[in-house]
Amino acid sequence: MKVFITLFLVLLINVSASAQDNYDVSLISKDLLPYASAVVRNKEVSVEVKDYDNTVYHIKTAITILNKNADDIAHIVVWHNKSRIIKSIKGTVYDQLGKPTGKFSESNFEDVNAGDGFSLFQDVKIKHYNPAVTSYPYTIFYEYEVKSKQSLDFEDWEPNSTTGLAVEKSSYTFSCKPDFNIRYKEINMPVKVTTGTDKQGYKTYSWQVSNLKAIKDEPYSPDKLKYLSCVKIAPDKFSYEGINGSFTNWKEMGKWIYDKLLASRLLLTDVTAAHMKELTANIADPKLKAKKIYEYMQAKTHYISIQIGIGGFQPFLAGDVDQQNYGDCKALVNYTQALLKTVNIESYYCIVQAGSQKVSPLNDFASMNQFDHVILCLPFKNDTTFVECTSQKIPFGFLSSFTDDRMVLACTPEGGKLLHTPKYTAQNNLQLRKASFVLNNEGELSGTMETVFKGTQYDNREEAVEDAPKEQIKDLKKEYAINNLDIQKAEFKQDKSVHPVTTENIQLLARDYGSSNDGKLTFLMNAANRMSHVPREVRNRRLDVYINRGYTDEDDITYTLPQGYQVSLRPTNVVIDKPFGKFSATVTLNGNQLIYKRRMQVFDGTYNKDTYQDLVDFYQAVVEADNDTVTLTKGN
Amino acid sequence: MRKILLITFIAIGIQHLAVAQDFTQGFEIGELNMQKYDKDTAAHAVFINEFGNSKIDVTNDDHIRLTYDYHAKIKIFDNKGLTSGTIEIPIHNGDNDGEEVTDVTGTTYYKDDDGMIQKIDLDPKKIFKVKDYKYGSTVKFAMPGLRPGCVVEFRYKLVSPYWDRFRGWEFQDDIPKIYSQYEVHIPGFWTFNASLRGALKLTKTSSELERECFTSHGAKSDCSHIVYALKDIPAFVEEDYMTSPKNFKSAIYFELVEFTNPYNGVRTVVTKEWKDIDRQLKIADEFGSQLKRKDLMKERMAPIIAGKTDEMDKAKAIYAYLQKWFKWNDYIGINSNDGIKKAMDAHTGSVGDINLSLITALNAAGINTDAVLLSTREHGNINTLYPVLSDFNYVVAKANIGGKSYLLDATDPLLSFGLLQLSCLNDKGRVISLDKPSYWIELSSIQKRSNTSSLDLTLLDNGKIKGTISNYYNGYEAYQKRKSIKKFNSVDEYVEDLDAKLPKLRILKSNITNLDSLDLPLGEVFEVEIDAFSNMNREHLEFNPFFWDRITTNPFKLTERDYPVDKGMASDSRLILTMHLPAKYAIETHPQVVAFAIPNSGGMFATSFETQDDTFTFSNITRFNKAIYSPEEYPYLKELYNKIILAEKTDMVFKKK
Repeated sequence: MKVFITLFLVLLINVSASAQDNYDVSLISKDLLPYASAVVRNKEVSVEVKDYDNTVYHIKTAITILNKNADDIAHIVVWHNKSRIIKSIKGTVYDQLGKPTGKFSESNFEDVNAGDGFSLFQDVKIKHYNPAVTSYPYTIFYEYEVKSKQSLDFEDWEPNSTTGLAVEKSSYTFSCKPDFNIRYKEINMPVKVTTGTDKQGYKTYSWQVSNLKAIKDEPYSPDKLKYLSCVKIAPDKFSYEGINGSFTNWKEMGKWIYDKLLASRLLLTDVTAAHMKELTANIADPKLKAKKIYEYMQAKTHYISIQIGIGGFQPFLAGDVDQQNYGDCKALVNYTQALLKTVNIESYYCIVQAGSQKVSPLNDFASMNQFDHVILCLPFKNDTTFVECTSQKIPFGFLSSFTDDRMVLACTPEGGKLLHTPKYTAQNNLQLRKASFVLNNEGELSGTMETVFKGTQYDNREEAVEDAPKEQIKDLKKEYAINNLDIQKAEFKQDKSVHPVTTENIQLLARDYGSSNDGKLTFLMNAANRMSHVPREVRNRRLDVYINRGYTDEDDITYTLPQGYQVSLRPTNVVIDKPFGKFSATVTLNGNQLIYKRRMQVFDGTYNKDTYQDLVDFYQAVVEADNDTVTLTKGN
Repeated sequence: MRKILLITFIAIGIQHLAVAQDFTQGFEIGELNMQKYDKDTAAHAVFINEFGNSKIDVTNDDHIRLTYDYHAKIKIFDNKGLTSGTIEIPIHNGDNDGEEVTDVTGTTYYKDDDGMIQKIDLDPKKIFKVKDYKYGSTVKFAMPGLRPGCVVEFRYKLVSPYWDRFRGWEFQDDIPKIYSQYEVHIPGFWTFNASLRGALKLTKTSSELERECFTSHGAKSDCSHIVYALKDIPAFVEEDYMTSPKNFKSAIYFELVEFTNPYNGVRTVVTKEWKDIDRQLKIADEFGSQLKRKDLMKERMAPIIAGKTDEMDKAKAIYAYLQKWFKWNDYIGINSNDGIKKAMDAHTGSVGDINLSLITALNAAGINTDAVLLSTREHGNINTLYPVLSDFNYVVAKANIGGKSYLLDATDPLLSFGLLQLSCLNDKGRVISLDKPSYWIELSSIQKRSNTSSLDLTLLDNGKIKGTISNYYNGYEAYQKRKSIKKFNSVDEYVEDLDAKLPKLRILKSNITNLDSLDLPLGEVFEVEIDAFSNMNREHLEFNPFFWDRITTNPFKLTERDYPVDKGMASDSRLILTMHLPAKYAIETHPQVVAFAIPNSGGMFATSFETQDDTFTFSNITRFNKAIYSPEEYPYLKELYNKIILAEKTDMVFKKK
């Protein structure tokens, strides 16, 4: 009996020693403090696949909040829905010395619907709680368990992806029953995987990192996958919302998506099919046929996002969209594909990561969570065309900066194919401006200005174009930093071809454009396109300089000067030529006309980190040149 | 500006009217053919008709409920108008009981591709209810089959347990309306005040008596049936720098005056005069009762004020203590629903919890302190014609010390003693005390913001400028600056960031003073070096004396305004630049010496320039003396900015001797 008691005690001590780490804030290494507003003391993420429809997440986090800025990091948010159920949540708050001061449990959490800001409805709810601690620093420890009924989509492990957060220790363990096979991808990981078998015979894969300093935002950074640590995991065989499947590469994943999620969604009524045939009856060229149908779809539908269950991956039925006239990107692409199919035009449903920042899926690792949008590809021979289906006004064949120049996965009956969307180069992305202004002796500016927008600059005026004239003028007044700008007339023309063009014509008047002082008249040379922002300097830059997209701006302005005035002071010409950009601003005088020419070009690409200061200096020089003034003096 | 019209029921009791007039369901061909709305050709969509009907009634489950029926028909002209076909109905959730939306139906009428008229009904499965937060949800649906040119019609019923909050009606929306009508049925057991806001006049009001419209368990009463209607309602267009659109939109609101319990005849006067509200608040569990819990606070505050004899010192100590004690939970309101003890123990609570704790704590320490109820800028202005308790959504403390009073809000740890957030500086506040009648105080222009920059710089022979830049921030300006500094983990990180943002300037040394002494002006002194001129062999050097803080674009772009510009508080900004030039340069062009003012001492901009040997001193002052500028004053305000920009545009020129 005595033996037993001793044993029990020892066990108890052991347990409490391992369960209770020391959260004294003074134990945090000084090296981790710069730029950190919070420090992860220890985070353990464990993912356990017990069966295809039973994955258990167990997350334990201890995090020290150093100041008020990290209150957001202390805010605990756990999402859940019908297929992702929260089993338990609890936690403890510790003071600066590491003494526990309070506990919290699931009843402290508020449960609300999640909002992504654009969806009408998503079947996702969140439980959230923000511990009310007012003396800094403090530490919170919390753990929760979530049961997920699928084994397809595993969240990436990103031990340190938030700015202002340092990490003492963070670990990730993936375990699964012996017959469950996975692929994993280590990205920028300082350590390799440790594999093994746990006591219940499950295979285990573990990673651990420690002492990661807080990351600091650097302007012109490359995509985070280029420098942040991350582990991605994907199954070979899985179950998702009752659908089984397997894939190990893009080809198989595309095939699975097509077969299981798309193939059955394309049905349309005979009436609609007949209507499409009729609509395109007199068109021979398949591309023009496709354009006709695409424009029909644009005029008929609009974008509304509703995400329920498998609907997160699967489009609404084409027939539904035909009736309701709305859908999200999946639904509208699927609908367009169905319409095209009625006239025997082949097209591919392409999943993509959208956004101005160009991000492509990993070439060698197929998984579902690398995409957030869908576009449609029309594989015409030697003329592959991509279309965006969620906008009522974007031209046929034009993708804009939302999905340009990146890899997408086309999901076809033959399987997945990685395709590349068109790139709009610095030479394509144009803003060309020609203005003819008259300046009178009171400093009033008047005249006309024509601006042509092409490439990704095509939609610079997209908001204004569809507005009524009165609203257009209001919008344009905000667009141009010309003091006292009065727009007497504004006109837009759009050429909605594959290489679309917007042309803006303005007639304007601006009192006091020039400022008169002491018989002199001073005015800004660059009336319409001044750069005002210089990227901030970065000490000890870590990352390469990445310019995501290039462009070209050209401004030609002719000023007719007031009678009897001479140019007494004018800026020197500026010419800068760098690998990442070119700039020139020149002023020439021709009789009573002053001609200002500005050229600005930025080239996309990745440049060595040492280039960064050059880039700052470049923009600084541009900002200064853009603020150059001319002074006129009365008399000879 | 603000127009609140009191409509009494007696005044409109004479006219007779026909039976309740909801418009007929369905469309007319002319509506489908309509290409534009003639009265506003810029409109993307227009309400053809809108009808609402509210009544207090007994529902099937034998509860007294407020039942609201809504019916609307909207014409959509173009793609931008399609958003008018997505309907969101916000509803209120209570702890046990809440509002519910039922009987939603909708139909879209359109011409199909062949020009045939078609209709499609809303699928009840596509109606969603989203819980936004504890007390609020939204019922949402997207009308089916939308396309430019279509007409959508929908209706729903909203049943509310809150009959004391009789539903108001917004006649004006962000799209125009051809006709909008609201009808109310109020049984004689209830009396409400109705008030009309906005600039538009009702096209029709009429009322009649409905016989025995309310019967329940033997209780019977007639109803007032009143109709309010407006036609040709223009779209409401928001402008920058305005307070809540609610202040200006044409709408009708109701406030409960009294009611009689239909079953036992007990009459409750809810709103009669302020003295009634005062009494009601004084005994309310979540308000007055909390303010009386001085004993609870006495003990807790004793160590905080120990050794302090001066009232001001005590008040400041308690305020600072509670600012740090609480973490505000982002909920606003005037009440402490769970009581201040719970809030104190939990270190968290709503605005009501925190500031009622503060008021009680100050009173417990012998500092005479009242509560001030107010309405935040977003929430809109107060009806001052008669008491409307629901107009208020925020409470602060008013500490009366040495003949002066200080408004305090402990929810934000960076507010200095006596300073309120901009969002609280709105219209009027009602001072509520436990022992005196309540009264109004003005809130819109009670505080100021000001800053002074003084630059002492020397232009060196090598083209660099060296010297010191000192900035001092007062009042709200100091609060905002502290907030922006505190976004960084340390002062060093703040200075590093500032330095990084100004590539031509290097901060050699810095000193930030009074960052945590909230009641003193915040100071920043930077020793700097600026790469001003790369080439010093030039005949002329241009220098802009406003380089440190320069306005380059006019924030006001509209030619005229319909609504006042409301900045919340007056401001004052000064700059003094002393500059020493190298011996070989002289000033050729000096900055403009100007003085401009807005009429009626509304504001001014003035500069002065002096020179002595190689040194010049340039100073300027920009002052806006008012918190609110009327549309009539707007052109002057805009023009003052124009003058400032013109003056700041001109460079100084230094010429080689």
